[in-house]
Amino acid sequence: MERRHFLQQGLALGTGGLVISGSMLGLVRLLAPREVHASTQVIPLPGALADPAAFAAACIGCGLCGEVCPPRCIVFYRRDGAREVNTPYINPEDKSCILCGKCMAVCPTNALSITPREKIKMGFARIDRTACYPWVDRGVCGACVSVCPLGDKAIGFDFGNFYRPVVKDGCVGCGQCVEVCPEPSLPIRIAQPGQQVPRKEYKVHPL
Amino acid sequence: MTATHWPRHLNKLRWVSLSLVFTSLILIPLLHLYQTYEATHSYDYLNAGEKFIYNTMESLTKPFTNDPVNALDKIKGNTWSGNLFGVKLSDPLAVVGQTFAGLTIYWPFVITALIPIILTMLLGRFYCGWICPATFLYELTDNVGTLLKRLGVPISHRRLNHNLKYIVLAVLSLLCAITGTMLFAAVYPPAIIGRELYFQIAAQGFGIGIIFFLFTMVFDLFVARRGFCRYVCPGGALYSLLGHFRLVRIQRHVQTCNDCVKCTAICQFDLNPMRDEFGQECNNCSACIAACPTDALEFKINWQDLPYQGPGHLGHHYKQHASIEAA
Repeated sequence: MERRHFLQQGLALGTGGLVISGSMLGLVRLLAPREVHASTQVIPLPGALADPAAFAAACIGCGLCGEVCPPRCIVFYRRDGAREVNTPYINPEDKSCILCGKCMAVCPTNALSITPREKIKMGFARIDRTACYPWVDRGVCGACVSVCPLGDKAIGFDFGNFYRPVVKDGCVGCGQCVEVCPEPSLPIRIAQPGQQVPRKEYKVHPL
Repeated sequence: MTATHWPRHLNKLRWVSLSLVFTSLILIPLLHLYQTYEATHSYDYLNAGEKFIYNTMESLTKPFTNDPVNALDKIKGNTWSGNLFGVKLSDPLAVVGQTFAGLTIYWPFVITALIPIILTMLLGRFYCGWICPATFLYELTDNVGTLLKRLGVPISHRRLNHNLKYIVLAVLSLLCAITGTMLFAAVYPPAIIGRELYFQIAAQGFGIGIIFFLFTMVFDLFVARRGFCRYVCPGGALYSLLGHFRLVRIQRHVQTCNDCVKCTAICQFDLNPMRDEFGQECNNCSACIAACPTDALEFKINWQDLPYQGPGHLGHHYKQHASIEAA
C-alpha cells in the first residue's frame, strides 16, 4: 500500500513536471515565431563560433556583449527566431561593428572567443557592380574604401580607377562599408560563406 | 526587556539589498547609454529625454570617475551573468543549461559560477531571498494579492508538491540537450528581468520574456502564493539542491517560543518554522525572525535542521502539559 502510494505520487509529480516544463517551452516558442526579413542583413558577432547551432548552444543570452558594445550595434532576437531567441546578432545596415573587441573580452562563455581583428570571420563584403555608383559611371564615391578599419588589406580601388571599390581577401565582414554606403539599394552587402548574397527588397504596394 | 534583538532588522536589510540589485539593473543600461553619448561627444544632438539621462548619469558618476567611457565598464551585466570589477560572476543555472545545451563543459565558464556555488553551499537559497530581481517583483505581487483579496477578488493559495521544481529542472535540462539551446534563459525570471530591462532601456525594447514573466505573476496571484518560486523555478530547484547541507540556517529556540504561529503565517514559502520544518526550501530570508514576538528564531551554524523540539515552552500547550506532569 505504501509503495503504491509512492508510485502514484511519483507518477503525478512526473506528469505535472512534464506538463509544466512543456507548457513553458511551448509558451516561449509560441511567443517567438521565426520571422526572416529578406531585406534585413544578419551577421554574427566578431569571434563567434562559426557554426550557428554551436553558437545557439553556447550562448546563455545574458546580453553582456550588447551592454559593453560602444556603438551599440549588437542587438538581440527578441521575438523573431524561436531557437535563437535572446541571442545576439548585428545588422550592419543600422549600425555596424567597429572591431573594438569588448564583446569578445566580456563574454563569459565560449560563444565569443578573443580573436585578433585580422582573423575575425563575420562574413565577406560583396559589391554589386550593377548598382554601385562608380561602377555604373554615375559619379565618384569611395566611401566604403575610406571607412574600412582594415585599410587596403580589405578593400581597395580597381586598377586604373580611383573610385571603383574592390573587396580583397583581408575583409573580415565588419559591415562598416554597408553602414556608410550612400546608395539606397546598398550595393555592398555582407555575405556568409555558403550563402547567397541577400539583396535588399522593396515592398511594392499593389494599386 | 533588553534592546531589540538585532536579527529582527535583517529583513529590512534584505529589502535594501533587493532594491539595490533591482535599481542597479536599471542603472547599468542607463550608464551604458551615458557612456555611448559621452564617447561620441553627442550632447548637443540629444533630445530632451536623452539629455536628462545624460545629466543624471553624469551627476551620479562624477564623484567616482573622471573617465566614464572606460571606467564604467567595470560594472556590467545582470544577475544571470555579470562583470563586477573584473570578476566574472554567473548563475549556476546558466552553467548547467550551457553544459546540457552543448553537451560539453567549458571550464572558464564553470569557474565564473564558483563563487555563487560556494556561497549557496554555505548560505543555502539566499540568492532567492536576498538578490533575485524577480523576488523583488514577486513580493510586491504578493502584496497586490493581499489587496485584491481585500477587494473581494478570488485569490487562490493552492498547495502543490514542492518536489515539482526538481522535475522541471530535470525536464528543462533534457530539453536544453534535445533542442541544443539555452532554454533556461527564456524561462528563468531573474535572467528575464535583467535582460528585458536592458532591452527596454538601451536596446530595441521589451522582448517575449516580459510576457512570460507576466504569466508567472498571474500564476502567483491566481494559482499559488509565490507559486513560481516554490513549485516551478528551475533555478530555485538548483539552489535548493546546492544548499541542502548549508551551514547557516534559522533555528527555533524552544525555551522562548510561545507557539503563536506568526512565523508560519508569514513564511511566503509555506514552511513551518514553528514545527522546525525548514528544509532545503528555506531561503534564509529572515521574515520569520522579524515576525517573531519573543525572538525565539535565530541564525545558527549547523549543517542540518533540528528535529521537532515539541511545543514552545512559553506556549499554552506546554504549560498545561507541565502542570499535569507536576501534579
